Amino acid sequence: MVGWWYLSQKYDASSAMVSRDTNVVDRRTFLKLTGGSGLAATAGCLGFGGDGGGGPIVIGQPAALTGQWDFLQPGVSAATDAAIQHINDAGGPLDREVELQRRDTAVAPQEARTVVTQLVENDDAVALLGLFSSELNPLFDFIQEQETPVVTPWPGSNFLDTRGGDKGTPDDLSDDGWIWRTVISDTVHTAGAALRALDDGHETVGVINGNTEGAKSWADGFVNAYEANGGTVAERVEVSQGSSSYQSALDRLFGTDFSAFAVSLPLEDAITLMSDWADGNYGRQPILSDPLAQQDLVDQVGDPLSGAWAASPGESGPNYDAFESAYEADADINAWTPPAWDATMVTALAIERAGEATPEAIEQNLGPVSRGDGTEVATFQEGKEALNNDEEINYQGAATDVTFTDFGNVIGSVVINEVQDGEFTQVETISADDLREFVPEGEY
Amino acid sequence: MGLVQNVVFGLVQGSYIAIAAIGFTMIYGIVNMINFAYGEYLTIGAFVGVLAAGVLPLPVAALVAMVGAGAASIALAKLFFTPINETGPVPMLLTSIGLGLVLRNVIRLGAGRSARYYDTESATYEFAGVPEVPVGSVDLLGNFFVTSRMLVVVGCAVAVFAILHALLTRTDVGIAMRAMSDSEDLARVRGIDTQMIRNSVWVLAGVLAGLAGVLLGIQTNVSVTTGFSQILQILAAAILGGAGSPYGAIAGSYVIGLVVALSTAFLPADMTGLSSAVAFLVLVVVLLVKPSGIAGEEVREA
Repeated sequence: MVGWWYLSQKYDASSAMVSRDTNVVDRRTFLKLTGGSGLAATAGCLGFGGDGGGGPIVIGQPAALTGQWDFLQPGVSAATDAAIQHINDAGGPLDREVELQRRDTAVAPQEARTVVTQLVENDDAVALLGLFSSELNPLFDFIQEQETPVVTPWPGSNFLDTRGGDKGTPDDLSDDGWIWRTVISDTVHTAGAALRALDDGHETVGVINGNTEGAKSWADGFVNAYEANGGTVAERVEVSQGSSSYQSALDRLFGTDFSAFAVSLPLEDAITLMSDWADGNYGRQPILSDPLAQQDLVDQVGDPLSGAWAASPGESGPNYDAFESAYEADADINAWTPPAWDATMVTALAIERAGEATPEAIEQNLGPVSRGDGTEVATFQEGKEALNNDEEINYQGAATDVTFTDFGNVIGSVVINEVQDGEFTQVETISADDLREFVPEGEY
Repeated sequence: MGLVQNVVFGLVQGSYIAIAAIGFTMIYGIVNMINFAYGEYLTIGAFVGVLAAGVLPLPVAALVAMVGAGAASIALAKLFFTPINETGPVPMLLTSIGLGLVLRNVIRLGAGRSARYYDTESATYEFAGVPEVPVGSVDLLGNFFVTSRMLVVVGCAVAVFAILHALLTRTDVGIAMRAMSDSEDLARVRGIDTQMIRNSVWVLAGVLAGLAGVLLGIQTNVSVTTGFSQILQILAAAILGGAGSPYGAIAGSYVIGLVVALSTAFLPADMTGLSSAVAFLVLVVVLLVKPSGIAGEEVREA
């Protein structure tokens, strides 16, 4: 990637110099040109540079193939694969095939750093379709140094609310954050959870959360939205994840008066905690963070969990059907599955609009293909056709409408999934418009 | 917040740790090595137990898990530790770190990513009407509850302590273990088959790890990190009690369990996530005051 792009720039610079200085090409300039061309051609033959020639365009996917969030990865992998299949079937961006390189980070920051380096330096990936909050937040500066766009369906962290995107200046890379997320921020769906809690008459709540970035971010978002709308948090308890028992923490939490309590932990820890809660007959209304809307939780905790609910990112995109018809995998569709489809589509469209597959060009075109008054397109195929007709496009996604804000965020609806008859059932949808007041312009 | 209730939680947590810490500290005392792979022995026991529980009653499955973990322990010792017995504690420590890493990944590859769960029910017994004795925000008595699961854990721990005490004081093997723990050379001079004693310790440590793994699996889940997530607390309990001393390990385990429970209950609200760190702080303080740990045995070179 770097080799071919660099040589191309050098070649262009040399050409410009020839035309500016004189119409006569001297011997030294001729040698430079032919030497440069030869090197560039050699680099292309040897495969230096993912954006060179007509070879495949490599896109990387840091993935949670192992680790505490790995139960969410199968759906995301399947959606990404389905999107890549669709893109390649439609001829691929710039009439080239897209090749996905997926590597496991186990959602560990140090591992993620290594994987990002491998993907960018060794695999020549021109964009990355992954990384969680727990990885992005500590690696934020490192990601900036890579200058490779990260278009991710995972992170909810409100740390990223004002850090990503192109700041509304697509052509100016100097202010870019290089991170775009196709899933709504915790700020949005915790606002949905807070709104529902207040609507249900829970004016005082307790909060119990784990000590990782993701778990804390959800709890922070919930507390901020809840208190901003008049609610009172009676007690907040933070616990060490991986404990064999959470009874002491529960005893502390339930020593105060409140009518509902919010839980933000990874699934396995949440199962232990909620089983302890059921054993202790603590009662009151559980409000679960969105990753906990999983059948395993219901199966293991049993009847006491009946009535518990979670506010999850909705599947409110205008073109959810396009995703659903292409998705044939057995893996369950979770809240991050449609955003994974969107991340892949919007990245491929950015390459198509850019006319070249370089990280910089993709970064400059992610905003333009998702905003504005262009022709609305549901898939890469439609977008490619429109771009080939010299039309501007506006990708309308499966999870949300994928209208990136200046900070690389999206806004979408939130659905309330409640445990009824031993399974999570969707009982309510809070529209994106209702949630917009929680995300003021300039802060999201 | 009731003090009695939190003491109950601390005793239960201490019981999990104690069962495992006994095995850990016996390996240290007799084989003279810190076995960082010991957490994986718990994981092996938990997996064997959950598989056996699919076809056998839970108590029988627990016995199968203990036998399985004991067999795995002696097999791993024969393969990786016995050949380097004479190289000293540091090479054995490093080998155990490597072995732990390998075992975790082998288990991950073999067992897959999903956590597994024991199918158990738990009854809750509430003790209401206990008078309150408030001191500030702390209630020294107050209502409390226990669950059948807690009682099983504490009961298993007490049974293990009793059997261990009988083993160490009433059987030739146990007395030989104690002799060897004091001085392997003198034990050998007295005609004790030291390799046989080492083998016995490996089996016993594995059996205890298997039981602890099953109990942890019942309380939480069975995954590749079931044992690994507990190894630091087990290590802390063993060192706190006096490395090499089974009785010290029991005492150390309950200190750790109680400190974790009470610090979660009574630390300022924004510090509750640090309860495990407080347990290690206690360890550091105790070692500064009494470097040999609670039971008074010297910490050997490692």
